[in-house]
Amino acid sequence: MKNLEKLFAELSVQKLQNQTRRHFLMDCVSKVGGLALAPLLFGCEPGTSAKAPTGLNLSERDLNPLAPLAPPFMGKAKSIIYLHMAGAPSQLELFDFKPELAKLHDQDCPESLLEGRKFAFIRGVPKMLGPQAKFSQHGESGAWVSDYLPHFSKVADEVAFLKAMHTDQFNHGPAQLFMQTGSPRLGRPSLGSWVTYGLGTENQNLPGFVVLTSGGKTPDAGKSVWGSGFLPSVYQGVQCRSKGDPVLYLEDPSGMSRDMKKNVISAINQVNKEDFEAFGDPEILARINQYEMAYRMQIEVPEVMNINDEPEHIHELYGTKPGEESFANNCLLARKLVEKGVRVVQLYDWGWDTHGTDHDGSIDMGLRNKCREIDRPMSALLLDLKQRGLLEETLVVWGGEFGRTPMQENREGKVQGFKGRDHHVDAFTMWVAGGGIKKGASYGITDDFGFSGVDERTSVHDLHATLLHLMGFDHEKFTYDFQGRPFRLTDVEGELIRKILA
Amino acid sequence: MSKSKLSILITLLFGATVLYFFWNQEEKVDFSTEIKPILNKHCITCHGGVKQSGGFSILFEEEAFAVNESGLPAIVPGSPNSSELIKRLTHSDPELRMPYERAPLSEEEIDLLKTWIKQGAKWGKHWAYEPVKKPKTPELVQTAGIGTGGSPSGLSPIDQFVGEKLEENGMSFSPEEQPLRLLRRVALDLTGLPPSGSLVADYSEGKITYEQAVDQLLESDTYGEKWATWWLDLARYADTKGYERDVSRTMWPYRDWVIRAFNDDKPFDEFTIEQLAGDLLPNPTQDQLTATAFHRNTMNNDEGGTEDEEFRIAALLDRVSTTYEVFQSTTMACVQCHSHTYDPIRHEEFYQSAAFFNNTRDEDTHDEEPRLRFYEEEQQGQVDALLSWVKDNEGEKAAKTRADFLKFYEPKYAAHLATDFNKSELIDTKWLGLWSGGSALYKNIDTQGSDQLLLDYWTGLDGTQMTIRKDGPAGEILASFVMNKTQGEVVKEIPFKPISGKVNLYIEARNPSAGPQQNTSTIVWLAFVPSLKGKEKPGFAQAQSNWDKLLKFRGTKLPILIENPPYMARKTNVFERGNWMVLGAEVSPKTPAEFGGWRAEWPANRLGFSYWLTSPENPLTSRTLVNRIWDQLFGRGIVATLEDMGSQSEPPTHPELLDYLAWETMNGHDWSMKSLIREIVTSATYKQSSIVSAAAFQQDPDNRWYARGPKFRLSAEQIRDQALTASGLLSHKMYGPSVKPAQPEGIWQTVYNGESWTESKGEDKYRRGIYTFLKRTSPYPSFITFDAASREVCLGKRLVTNTPLQALATLNDPVYLEAAKKLGESSWDKSAGNPDKAISLTYERLVFYPISESKKKTLLELYASAKTEFSRDSAALHEFYPGAKPDVAAMGVVANAMMNLDEFLTKP
Repeated sequence: MKNLEKLFAELSVQKLQNQTRRHFLMDCVSKVGGLALAPLLFGCEPGTSAKAPTGLNLSERDLNPLAPLAPPFMGKAKSIIYLHMAGAPSQLELFDFKPELAKLHDQDCPESLLEGRKFAFIRGVPKMLGPQAKFSQHGESGAWVSDYLPHFSKVADEVAFLKAMHTDQFNHGPAQLFMQTGSPRLGRPSLGSWVTYGLGTENQNLPGFVVLTSGGKTPDAGKSVWGSGFLPSVYQGVQCRSKGDPVLYLEDPSGMSRDMKKNVISAINQVNKEDFEAFGDPEILARINQYEMAYRMQIEVPEVMNINDEPEHIHELYGTKPGEESFANNCLLARKLVEKGVRVVQLYDWGWDTHGTDHDGSIDMGLRNKCREIDRPMSALLLDLKQRGLLEETLVVWGGEFGRTPMQENREGKVQGFKGRDHHVDAFTMWVAGGGIKKGASYGITDDFGFSGVDERTSVHDLHATLLHLMGFDHEKFTYDFQGRPFRLTDVEGELIRKILA
Repeated sequence: MSKSKLSILITLLFGATVLYFFWNQEEKVDFSTEIKPILNKHCITCHGGVKQSGGFSILFEEEAFAVNESGLPAIVPGSPNSSELIKRLTHSDPELRMPYERAPLSEEEIDLLKTWIKQGAKWGKHWAYEPVKKPKTPELVQTAGIGTGGSPSGLSPIDQFVGEKLEENGMSFSPEEQPLRLLRRVALDLTGLPPSGSLVADYSEGKITYEQAVDQLLESDTYGEKWATWWLDLARYADTKGYERDVSRTMWPYRDWVIRAFNDDKPFDEFTIEQLAGDLLPNPTQDQLTATAFHRNTMNNDEGGTEDEEFRIAALLDRVSTTYEVFQSTTMACVQCHSHTYDPIRHEEFYQSAAFFNNTRDEDTHDEEPRLRFYEEEQQGQVDALLSWVKDNEGEKAAKTRADFLKFYEPKYAAHLATDFNKSELIDTKWLGLWSGGSALYKNIDTQGSDQLLLDYWTGLDGTQMTIRKDGPAGEILASFVMNKTQGEVVKEIPFKPISGKVNLYIEARNPSAGPQQNTSTIVWLAFVPSLKGKEKPGFAQAQSNWDKLLKFRGTKLPILIENPPYMARKTNVFERGNWMVLGAEVSPKTPAEFGGWRAEWPANRLGFSYWLTSPENPLTSRTLVNRIWDQLFGRGIVATLEDMGSQSEPPTHPELLDYLAWETMNGHDWSMKSLIREIVTSATYKQSSIVSAAAFQQDPDNRWYARGPKFRLSAEQIRDQALTASGLLSHKMYGPSVKPAQPEGIWQTVYNGESWTESKGEDKYRRGIYTFLKRTSPYPSFITFDAASREVCLGKRLVTNTPLQALATLNDPVYLEAAKKLGESSWDKSAGNPDKAISLTYERLVFYPISESKKKTLLELYASAKTEFSRDSAALHEFYPGAKPDVAAMGVVANAMMNLDEFLTKP
């Protein structure tokens, strides 16, 4: 009830602001960021333009394309933290417990699994590879989690598992693009871009969509996985880095003090203001706003990216070490960013491609080490969000771009030197937690080998439809016109996964 | 009679009277402009293309008049009352009244439909599919406000068309722009750079007219660099292959071809034909072959585990969609999966178009063959000598075949065609690797009876015995040879038993010294090129030696299009629901029926297709070109939806103007883009001032009616080029491999890709933006921030956004700061240390306009505060500008601010 009152109060403020928009903007540009409740201007009908109209009948969007907007209906979540394990972790060592597979270990793969199938690297008849981890059930939900993830097993009640996820791309690049943009080809907007386009962001001093990477590499598909595709570039993910400038060109030129920078921006805006008064072109207002925001970003981004001042118990919880580029640090940063009102935070951790070609790429050693890197921080992230009351309004998503085969990888009869699994599209596990998600749920059942989903299968489009739903969008109506036709994140597919909704 | 029935009767009577009135007037209802929009708006979502509810579709003419599920036709020409269409639109039962569960059509709409049916229900084409006709220029009643010499006789046809619409909207032209602001505008539009000092001097001193200035700009080399940038977005040009590994490729010779084509003013029809089908022209030149790289800009997937055929097809489909988007403003992506919902293009017509493009040699291989070889002068001498010897000794035909092979190494068979692997593998799903005792099979290979095999491979092993047999392990031996360690990739000439027809080649390897599962070599391709004949003839040794040397070519190679020889031709099938794994009916090359204009004498290949595109009967090519160029200059197309002129497009704001310019382009300008651009930029419409009052702005915020000049933010490349020009840092060096100016550390982190961003040296750091290396998955950061394209797919229009990250780039990026300091220092020197003058001078150098007193005051205050700070803090001064005095450094700070002004970042 209180929230509703708050919304009404903000709505009336908004109306007032609309009436005096120009004065408002000229006088107190720094206050831009009040919740805008103007209806969305999506191109839901074919042929209509998705662009906000320009002119002096301005929406806040014209001046600031990242101004917050209300979703078409009340979403359960306000922000997303997406943890993408690039390279694709093995579901068979983490969440999808298959005792039957253990019995088949080292036997030839049954013909039925190979018939009419293509794999990225497996050729001929491979051997089956039993689970390399020990599994047990955890929490009230009785979730199966392996001993590779001892910390996570303690918070397993917080999440909903999707155990029969499937995709149709078995190569990393296309599969990552598919997972993040709904299409295996380059050129489509990412999930984060769609959400930022639809909702804007709450904190105008920070980018609306932040990307953090660890593992030493960007994902296989490159920066396109957080690209804005055909949406305006303002909605692309901004990579914040732990080395160098956290955001490109954020740092003032050496020798230029903060005060001097302030004077520079004041002078720019003063001159621009004079032009606006003469010509009345709202582009100039947008420019003024843009420079104000840049200045504020220069102050706030380094603050939020600095984890030195976090208390010791928080560092303890996450296992963070300031100054490193690590998944742990990124998890803590994700919490800080969401707390500050960033709409979407995406973490990419590279190094999960366990073919068994070397030690790091082995299922029994390399994978276990990778799990050690993420286990504590991702569990800490859930706990930390929860204790701050943020988990109920934040969606946390975890997963790779596909799964791994129950077979041991071989290439044209060449057996790998270590235990490894090939890419697999038919079954893999993801989990989702937080705003609007049913705690402790498990959806999706795979066969005895963990090879295919047999019930409650969910596609990438289904996942996207569900995430958009929780953010307040009908995925079928959330469209943007490009190259003469309306585009959706979910293309022409996607069903809500209702069973995991709270 | 009840009251309500009475009122219905009255309404009907009234309606009938109105209709009678209309019919008597013989006002012919126009299908395209009056009926089609109604059908598209209310009906076609359920009755057309994918959905045909009740068996009724209103997309194609024959469907609309066909008998549907009810057993009756929906439209009975001449008889609205017996037409089911009208009955259902007006039905009283909401279950039957159409549109189902939506608001009914308005009375006006229903009346129009009735009149149309009464008049015989004549079907028609959407305006964009009608041939281009020359419209009559209108006569203007008044021309108030037009700039100098604003008599009607001084108005160009463009101005007449624009003026007519202005009058209709109760608006008028603005006065002509201030001369130097206009000069800056036109220089930025034509060359992407501010005007040079000499041009400014000549023009402001009245030595040359505006028209002469325009001609000078059109004649400068920088014109080609500016307009090529536009074209390269459409051509999706980049310096990397895309997808996962996204490694570098050599595409820059194509970029240079585009720049030269613009500078040479290559007529747009030739420009089109050479890019789509240069290889199919008789005796194509090196330049014509280079042009075909247009469609090799598609992405190429090197990721291990990917199937080349899947990505060859992805490239093919992209070529079809891109061709239609670039040249026809037509969205084909929908038709890939189903008949178009709104435009009369059928599903199979997409694949008929694809059939034109489906017979090129490229197959998504790692080496991106076929590639055009660019021989250095000495090598070209060897080529010429060899070919002349072959011509003399083996005849014209043999010389031609060998000449083609030396140009682009085709035809050849890629390693990925191997099957039946036994102790062998397709290494990284790319190359053939045979272990000792291993074999593989190449099926259906046509050796053309050649006595020689060319094998491309590399190996680190000595002494591998290779045997090639016919069909299988017991087959006839066709070749037998030993492979030894190579210095990198080599092409080896191997005697081969001549054999005719298509054969299966069984290839095996033995090497006792190879380890278990070790590849004896990495095989890339096989080609069958006969040995040189005439050992006994004079000059043989020299010819053979030249040939051997040329096979070691390591120079520039550009991916191009080369047509399959007949024995390698592919068939094309419809892909059901767009899925390449589900083949439908086989199709042959054909253009969409609705577009018309195909002539029987044209070959059914890419060349014929490009003749069709550029024929005067093609309704869309000239309109598309004109619309795109207009958009480049005015920031908005005459049809605002640049990517689509189909029936879902926004109607043209000035249809007659569009057709006039399209007609003129083909007839008056003979497809010269320079002439077309010249006509537009010399119009009074273009020359108007962009400065308007807030009230005038509000009347037409998008400037749809052109009551003022065009003004919008500059492009990513222009912003950088302009800053470098203003500071004197810009290098005018043209052409060649792309360069890597300074970029922050750690931007490139691509997997399985050893490449790094090695900063260019010397003037290459300050080249124009068009020469900046473009990596698709990680484009140059400050360009992408300013909305440049990453060029994965064709992009007709860059959206312009304003983000704080842009401000950070132009404020803090070291290259912009360097430019500001240089500019500040130079103004300081020129004004002999007078800050007031230095600021005025800097401002004029940036925007070619005198600064206002109030702006100067603001900037002087900034100067004073910066100077005070630098004077007080010498350490900061040293860091900011080593060796500079406080006042020079302060002027650098002011220049930094001025280079971030809206005026500077915007076309005036």
